[in-house]
Amino acid sequence: MSDPVMNRRRLLNLGVSSFGLASLPSRLIGAPSSPESCSPAIPQNHEASNGGSCPYPIPWLDKNGNHNQPAGPDVELSSIYHFKGKLGRCSGFHGMGTDNQGNRRPWGTATTDFSYMAGEYWAARQPHPGVFTHT
Amino acid sequence: MAPVPAGGLTFSADGKTATLQMTNLPIIDQPRWPALDAETTPAFMDFKLVFKSGVEPVKYEDPSRQYRFEGFEASAQLEARFSVPSIGFTFQSDPLETSRCDFAVMGEEVNGRYYEAPKT
Repeated sequence: MSDPVMNRRRLLNLGVSSFGLASLPSRLIGAPSSPESCSPAIPQNHEASNGGSCPYPIPWLDKNGNHNQPAGPDVELSSIYHFKGKLGRCSGFHGMGTDNQGNRRPWGTATTDFSYMAGEYWAARQPHPGVFTHT
Repeated sequence: MAPVPAGGLTFSADGKTATLQMTNLPIIDQPRWPALDAETTPAFMDFKLVFKSGVEPVKYEDPSRQYRFEGFEASAQLEARFSVPSIGFTFQSDPLETSRCDFAVMGEEVNGRYYEAPKT
């Protein structure tokens, strides 16, 4: 079995060519989805079932919210569907850093991307304010 | 995608600089990604990300996918620290100013039910 630290070190240098979620510094994959508190509640007293308040993912993204395409002109930049508000997105980070063994390593790949989404999204038949990040 | 705690995202008075800062964000360390059976290890990230708007306007719109983004080209810089506690691995990037990215924009987006296609 290979040394996981060595794999990680190696990936720091190699980067990853596949298009996926943020890749910092290796396959340190981005934050998990929103907390379960926004999952659909079980309706009581015959109330309507409107779904949970979790944001809708972009329909053509995968279940983890991965864009599977690099951020760039003329692609959907948000991770939330039924959204309006401020959005910033960046990708293709490059930099240097140091691990806990003192090794100097480059970090970042073409798919190392981050974003913020701050505004209003629609879920459970009503608008919700929210600020989210995709990492 | 993760919710940003209150105060985690701030804008300058002129709206041209956005700073996103989070600590102890749970992430996944997955060295063999994208292998289908790639094992995962809990990890954490602290980061500071700064966007600065430029002057070149951009507009991306696709009525068939119901989105429109209008904003400006931008620069973005990142400083981050990663830790994988179970194996004692940490990685600290160099200071914010030393990083660079290939693509960045900041602006406003509407999509889905909030999107109205342009009148033709």
